[in-house]
This record gives sequence, structure tokens and C-alpha cells, in this order.
Amino acid sequence: MTAAIGIERAKTWTRPVTRRVAPGPNQGPEVIRRRIPVNRLQALISLVGFVAVWWAVTATKLINPLYLPSPGAVWNAFIKANTCNPIAAGSTRIVCGVQQYFLWQHLLMSLERIGVGLGFAIVAGVLVGFLLSSVAWLSRVVMPYINFVRALPPLGYIGLLIVWFGIGDTTKIWLLFLAAFPPIVLATIDGIKGVSKDRINSALSLGSSRLQLLSLVVLPSALPSVLNGIRLAVGFAWTTVVAAELNNGIPGIGALAYLSGTEMNTPLTIACIIVIGIAALVLDGILQLVIHALTPWVGKE
Amino acid sequence: MTVTSTTGTENTGDQGGVVIRHVTKTFDTERGEKVTALHDINLTIANHDFICVVGQSGCGKTTLLSMLAGFEKPTEGELLINGRRIERPDAKRGVVFQKPQLYPWLNVRRNVEFGMKVQGVDRARRERIAGEYLEMVGLSDAADRRPYELSGGMQQRAQIARVLAADPDLILMDEPFGALDALTRENLQVELRRIWQEKRKTVFFITHSVDEAIFLGTRVIVMTAHPGTVKMDVPVTVPRDPDHPEDIDAVRNTPQFIALEHEISGAIHH
Repeated sequence: MTAAIGIERAKTWTRPVTRRVAPGPNQGPEVIRRRIPVNRLQALISLVGFVAVWWAVTATKLINPLYLPSPGAVWNAFIKANTCNPIAAGSTRIVCGVQQYFLWQHLLMSLERIGVGLGFAIVAGVLVGFLLSSVAWLSRVVMPYINFVRALPPLGYIGLLIVWFGIGDTTKIWLLFLAAFPPIVLATIDGIKGVSKDRINSALSLGSSRLQLLSLVVLPSALPSVLNGIRLAVGFAWTTVVAAELNNGIPGIGALAYLSGTEMNTPLTIACIIVIGIAALVLDGILQLVIHALTPWVGKE
Repeated sequence: MTVTSTTGTENTGDQGGVVIRHVTKTFDTERGEKVTALHDINLTIANHDFICVVGQSGCGKTTLLSMLAGFEKPTEGELLINGRRIERPDAKRGVVFQKPQLYPWLNVRRNVEFGMKVQGVDRARRERIAGEYLEMVGLSDAADRRPYELSGGMQQRAQIARVLAADPDLILMDEPFGALDALTRENLQVELRRIWQEKRKTVFFITHSVDEAIFLGTRVIVMTAHPGTVKMDVPVTVPRDPDHPEDIDAVRNTPQFIALEHEISGAIHH
């Protein structure tokens, strides 16, 4: 019973709620009152606490700052990587950003690679998924290969891609494409196969041709599943791009995180890690908003 | 109020209608057994009839509806409509599903227009006809809402409007009011009967409720299971006040109604 109330609480944090809970076997009616968004507060306290502990640990100087720099040092590295500064104190030579780019330019480059790879994967994935769900024999022939590629960790075949396409961006985009393509194909197939028989029959009984059935009913019905597949693919692509940039990835946020580590610039490495994580969360949040805007009916039927 | 026919061709005279001839349907189960869902069904349905089919679960009434719609083919025998064999679904036979099959990416108005849109009716005409049917089912104010923003009863009204707007000759209804609360159900029964009186479409209506069947139908068919066969086929001759033919309580309280209800209930339960 207490666990059930806990779940109830978690669901209703957004607005103050006065809720009467049905009496359980061992307790009378209970009124839960809330005026504060508990979850958000908890998250904030957790974050403040985390930074405070981090700061305290580094302030004791028990740990070599090379291994764990202070929050302040990480912040300074972040600012420095986004501005132009003298190369050393008192020097007149000015250096902008790191590795000849600002940090935000590194991030943007990584996002651009994802955008291109994912764009190809969405177009090809939806088309292939659509084709495979309508042609049974083709699906039997092709699906094993798609599942095989899906089972491989993308970094397992990056060597082969470098041999084929060189160490430039072509390889990275291929890698992202191959990481994002299988989940989109599978989600498209799932979405199309999941359209109910009654829904298809309703469209046919209203006079739809085969083509109208596909374009006006089957595809919109599959859209929620396709969009979920894309969201999954974006996650894959993001983890993959950071790793893919280990080779010749400058500009690129993954490359910067790696190179700064090899150069013992730990504050910058940590700054990059935080940026990578926040960018992933923001990307996913934007996607969720887009998904909700495109398919507002999901979860309401 | 008048509603314009979308095709412009009226079905004239009583010739034709639906003919179901020696229809048998068997299914293969997963274990490889053969199950006879329907055995040697013979029925004729005249145009403008309102046929209500009652029977317990498993008597094959939904299978019969699916074959009339063209979703399934009979194992033996044939189904004809106006002399033509039913081979596949088309707009001549509209289907009202128990769970309204409205498209959530379209608002109610676009849902009602859907049949006309795929049939190539131009936009202005589509909007006019959809507006008329929305008014007929009392959904004019909800036309711009999405289906999931409507109650179950309103969704079913919208589905009925959509089927009517596609202008079928035969309307197949599979327990359309089965999932609704008693009050909504009664309101929709009255409205459906009024619409049928006005449009004179042929209706094939499946229900679990004997009461509903007698109130709505011009003829009630009782089916029994294992295998599905027609056990009883009675015309409904319940007197109705010509000034208030949809007064559901008045109709229900006539001795004829009560007698017929007993007779049909007896047939369903052997």
C-alpha cells in the first residue's frame, strides 16, 4: 500500500493535488496534500549535494587535482574553451578555444555529423521498413542481415569503414548511419505490423484503394512507433559519435574529450563529459516534445 | 432535414438486396483442427430491411458480418449483393465496428469526410455533406475535436456519421452499442432508428441484446453455435405510435414486444 502511494505521488508532482486514497486493508481514508513539486526539488537537492561533495573532496587536497579537479577548475576550463585567451599569462599571443575551435563548435560539429547520419538513416530506414513489412519474402531474405548489423557494436567495424572510406567524415557518417538504421527499420516494421485489422478494414470499407490505405491510414498509424525508433536511434548515434571521433575527430566534442584526457587536461575532459551528457539529455527532451506535437493521441486512446 | 446522396444514384425498387446462399465457413485452429464457424447459412435480406442478429458468443454472427463486408471469403457457398458476388471490401458496404475505428490524427470532421475523400468527392461537397451528417448525429459542436477527446458514445456517433457519409447501400454494425452505458445506448438506439427511417438504408445489426434487436429491427435472426446456424427468423410486428415511432418505452411495453422477447430469448437459450 505504501509503495502504491509512492507511485501516486511520483505521478502527480506537477500540480498541488489533494487526493483521497481508497482505504487499504489496514488503514482508514487518507488525504495526501502537496504544495511543492517534490520530484523537481529532490533532483535539485541531489545536484547541489553532488557538487558540494565534489567540491569538499577536492578542497581537502587529498586527491591529486590531475585525477579529480575541483568544480571551479572544470568551470574555468569550460569558459576558457569557449573564449579567446592569451596563450600564457602576460603573453600577447591570443588563442581562441581549444584545438583551433571553440567548445561549442566542437559540439556543433558532432551534432552535425549525427544530423547527417541520422537523416540518411531515417529516410532509408522508413523506406526499407515499409518495403520489408509489405514484401514477405524480401523480409525473410534481408532481415537476418539487418539483425546482424544491429547486434554488432559499431566500433567493432569502424576499422573496416576506415579502410573503405578513409579517416574523414564519410566514415563517421557511415558509422552513424549503420548505428541508427536498424532500430528505425525495426520500429517501422513493428508500427506497420501493429496496425489493427479493424482499422485497415475500416479504411477499405470506406472505399480506400491500396495506395490510399497505405498513405492515409497505415503510415500515420505507424508514426508513433517510427518516432520512438528514431528516438532510440538518436541515443545510439550519440554514444557512437563520441566514440567514432577518437580517430581524427577534431572538431568534435568526443575527440576533444579524448584528446584533452591524453594531454592530462582533466578539467577540460570533465567539462566535455558534462557537455556531452547535457547535450544528450536536451536532444532527447526536444525529441520528446516533437514526438508529442506530431502524435498527440499516443496514450490517450 | 435532407442529406444529399454522395453518388447521386438512388437505389430504386426492392429487387436485389442481399442473398446468402449455402454459406459454410471453416477455420483451421493452431493445432490443425477444423472448426466449423458457420454451416449452410441461407438468408435473403431485402433492401431497406433492418436485420438484427442475436445469438450467444461463438455462433458465427461476426464471421457472417465479415463475409458480408468482404473481409473474409466463405469456404463454401456465395454471398451476393444486388446480384453481384461479394469478393472484397468496398464503399458499398459500410461497417460500424464495436470499437469506433476513428483515425486519431484527423479531427472528427475529417474523419467523417474520409470515405468521400478517398472516393474523390471534391472538397466543397465533402464539407457540406460531412456537416449535414455531423448535425444529424448531434456532433456539430465537436467537429473540430480529435476522436480521443470524445466520449465513447460520441465516438460511436462519429463513426456512424462517417459510414453514412460514405453512402453505402448496406450498413453492417457489429454490436456498435455493446460497450456503452445504458442511457447512451438507449439514446443511440432511438437516433439510429430515426436515421434509418430517414435514409432507408439496409442494415445488418449484430447484438447481444434481444431488447435492442426487437426495438431496432424489422426482422430478428437468432443464431446458435457449434456449428453456427440460423435457428429462428422472425419479422418484428410490434405496434408503434405513428406520431412517436421512437418512443422506446411505449414500444417496449406493448404485449407484442414482450411476447416476442420471450420467444426469442427461449430460442437463444434452447
